[in-house]
Amino acid sequence: MKDQISRIEKEAREDLSRVDSVDAAEAFRIAYLGKKGKLTELFKQLGAVPPEEKKAVGAELNRVKQWLESSVDESRQKAPQAGTSTEMFDETLPGIRPPQGSIHLLQQTIQEITSVFSRMGFETVEGPEIETEFHNFTALNIPLDHPSRDAFDTFYTTHGQLLRSQTSTVQIRVMKDRKPPLKIIAPGRVYRPDTVDASHSFMFHQIEGLMVDTQVTFSDLKGVLHLFLRELFGSDTKIRFRPHFFPFTEPSVEIDIQWGKGWLEILGAGSVDPNVFEEVGYDKNVVKGFAFGLGVERIAMLRHGINDIRHFYENDLRFLRQFS
Amino acid sequence: MKISTNWLKDFVELAPPISRIAERLTLAGLEVKKCEPLKTPADTVFEIEITSNRPDWLSHWGVAREIAAVENLSLKNPVVDPETGRTPPPGWKIQIKDAAGCPYYTGVLIEGITETKTPDFIVNRLLACGIRSINLIVDITNYVLLEVGQPLHAFDADLIHGKEIVVRKPRQGEKFTLINGAEIELKPEDLLIADSDRAVALAGVMGGKDSEINEKTRNVFLESAFFNPGRVRKASRTHQISSDSSYRFERRVDPEGVDVGRSRALALIQKYAKPRHISAVIKAGEKPQLAIKTIQLRADEVKSVLGVEIKPSQIALILGRLGLQVKQHSEGVWTVGIPSFRPDLTRPVDLVEEIARIYGFENIPETLPARAPITLGENPRLSLERKIRQLLSGAGLCETVTFSLISEDGLDAAKDLRRAVQIVNPLQHGLHWMRPTMVTSLLSVIQKNVNAGADSVPVFEIANIYSLPDAHKHPVEERICAIALYGKKAAQTWLDHARAVTIYDLKGYIESILKNAGSVDLCVAKVDKSYFAQGTSEELRTWQTPLAFLGQVSGELLKKWDLKEPVYYGEISLEKLLPQAQKIRTFKEWPRYPAIERDLSIVVKDSVKSGDLMGEIRGLGQGLIREVELFDLFRGKRVPAGCKNLAFRVVYQSLERTLVSEEVQKVHDKIAQMLVQKYQASFQS
Repeated sequence: MKDQISRIEKEAREDLSRVDSVDAAEAFRIAYLGKKGKLTELFKQLGAVPPEEKKAVGAELNRVKQWLESSVDESRQKAPQAGTSTEMFDETLPGIRPPQGSIHLLQQTIQEITSVFSRMGFETVEGPEIETEFHNFTALNIPLDHPSRDAFDTFYTTHGQLLRSQTSTVQIRVMKDRKPPLKIIAPGRVYRPDTVDASHSFMFHQIEGLMVDTQVTFSDLKGVLHLFLRELFGSDTKIRFRPHFFPFTEPSVEIDIQWGKGWLEILGAGSVDPNVFEEVGYDKNVVKGFAFGLGVERIAMLRHGINDIRHFYENDLRFLRQFS
Repeated sequence: MKISTNWLKDFVELAPPISRIAERLTLAGLEVKKCEPLKTPADTVFEIEITSNRPDWLSHWGVAREIAAVENLSLKNPVVDPETGRTPPPGWKIQIKDAAGCPYYTGVLIEGITETKTPDFIVNRLLACGIRSINLIVDITNYVLLEVGQPLHAFDADLIHGKEIVVRKPRQGEKFTLINGAEIELKPEDLLIADSDRAVALAGVMGGKDSEINEKTRNVFLESAFFNPGRVRKASRTHQISSDSSYRFERRVDPEGVDVGRSRALALIQKYAKPRHISAVIKAGEKPQLAIKTIQLRADEVKSVLGVEIKPSQIALILGRLGLQVKQHSEGVWTVGIPSFRPDLTRPVDLVEEIARIYGFENIPETLPARAPITLGENPRLSLERKIRQLLSGAGLCETVTFSLISEDGLDAAKDLRRAVQIVNPLQHGLHWMRPTMVTSLLSVIQKNVNAGADSVPVFEIANIYSLPDAHKHPVEERICAIALYGKKAAQTWLDHARAVTIYDLKGYIESILKNAGSVDLCVAKVDKSYFAQGTSEELRTWQTPLAFLGQVSGELLKKWDLKEPVYYGEISLEKLLPQAQKIRTFKEWPRYPAIERDLSIVVKDSVKSGDLMGEIRGLGQGLIREVELFDLFRGKRVPAGCKNLAFRVVYQSLERTLVSEEVQKVHDKIAQMLVQKYQASFQS
């Protein structure tokens, strides 16, 4: 028994020399003093020791136990440990930062806008980018051969489809699909054959909104959109509603916000034209609604002071990471 | 359109300041984009954006009419020639052979012009509106166009053959030389003004070279007509000629304005050109009438659209100010007569808009829709996208937005573009494919950033790719998440070394996304893509569904994009991942009984796949293995050439009981033995 004790003590001395952390000290303690620890096992065997030796062996065991306990304490304190300072610590060393990624600013802007509307009970939906004449023009009350189409120059595919020139197509799809009441918001890519410069791109992002119900008025449109613009640009945002023309709304309005000394157009909107309701098979005498559309790039440029739309598509990491 | 405020004063009083007028117009729907002061003569020019539904605003008189309505003022009419007491020009006749294209044509012969100098006020006003003075007669036609909105055309009467005007379609193969000298080949749908021999004008668009007014012209044939808007638009687009005249005709001119414009021009010609003789007007056809001449309006319709109660008396007043004939039926019900210049008004809602405009949008209150809350589920795909964006941006990747339109650069026509969607009218040379993959888009992003000095470009994009699997059906759009990695995994710091990114980093991101979305039991399969280096790509599937693929971009493409280091590229199909995504996760109890870990370090040939070994180990575990993890892989040193050392940590754990170490050792030994037999594995310490 005594041999066993001294062998364990020797082993422990060796192990102890390798203890270099708090965790290791704990593992060391468990290995010797834990429930099934080596020394604990010897204590268990004490019953089998002849009575005349019991006292001496017991004393020896206790001595080793005390030594082990104090050693564990000591190595715990010596080990570098959270919450204790050592001479090695240099508070001026820079921290190791995790790599910096980012969500694209346009996406952040879309998320912010849709979440404002989501709080007002609008559901985010999407529609296809490759569309038909019907969804992009006919159903939106834009006659095939009419000057009102000039604003919506369009890319066509070799198989007679087109790339949507506006997200208003999604209103048509949703209305054809569902019954009122509807409150939707539809972000997405749109395409127009515009030459790329600081303020134009042949691909950009729009968000379309639509509310349809039995009693929706132009004054509701004003209320909802003013609330939205205050959420986005701040509660003291000054706005004005200016009559305009869109084939798919009547009355139609453009909304400007005050920016510096002047006004900047920020949204197009209007009460849904009865012809559109007719196209999608709603009873134009029963339902009313309003729709609106906004350009994501324009809003992001205004809010973040970006002067060239091309920054969004060039994807320079120095640009992307500024908005992480 | 440019509008001179001096000119407006001929028709309506403008109470200063002029900026107030600009604002009133803007808030009535004629947006004044710019207010430009002129010095000599003193004037202010408005640049007004006029929407395509209101061609009646494309003139000074039209804008003045709107100001009169908005400000509740009276409107003066332009001074016109009475056109009375004259005789028709002997021998002249007008024949309309295409009544659909030209329902109404009028003309007048003016002979013996004695003056040719354009008075200063006309020169100045034209100039203020951006039109250069040419000669008196042409200046007067332009002046009338800008003043009352009716385009006119003046021919040199001596150059019209046979004293005859024929409005007709072109003959087979007919050609025509425009005033600007360009020769065009006429299309069957074109509308021509011709004399007895040949075409003299492309109706409503532009006159001909052979009959234009010149400095020797003394006799003039003046045309004023109504041309079909669609036909003028078509001709203007087909031949790519836009003129002030076609711009108005294609938006529809006021049929009554045909006579007003002509008589206004005659008044000016009489006064300034001092002709010897003016003939009576000769006419052909009939002025087109509005399809809808009256609209019934009820006051409650105004309220239900606008959400504001406007007094019936005020409604009637507003409509009257706009030049509409308002006749009351009963309290709050009217029959509204529509004037010829407002074909845009066909329905009660159109009148409601007019009322709102004049009442003032700013005077309509703001309300919030009254409606009980409706339930709306979050779009599951968008929430999956949001999760992925958070995961990848949190891991240091930057999201990009690149164009969906690409060129075929770097792609294989047979493999990649066979089912791709093609654009017929691309804007920029070459960008005529809707991308079937994002690999080339992201390679360009990497290239741009490397050129800008970046040594690490980890990017991703969530967007659609497009294909046309069946030419008779609508193209398919598939939402994917593409990831591309280049350069260093992480920058060197004072604590850590830099390390180059590897394909396993990419695979790790993809695995994380798939597992976070809830897909389990991933397995790998081979995949063949034109843009990957051979034998360096794989597909990740769950059961039979391919969810993602990844690989190392081929050397050929790297060269093309001028990149020195490898690019790892992968795509995850969100459409296919979505059904795997679990909305609500079920809690799984972890084993309560202790685990026993055993390591297994073996040397095998390079050709042996670690995944096969892991599967084998698991299969031999008699249900006691909870996890097999590869924690080390190395070659060289004591490992023979062509071999690798793989170190696995095998975790034995039972859900039902505490495992005994001897039992585990037995299983473990058996596994080791099997690996030796099956894979010629050897053990090395």
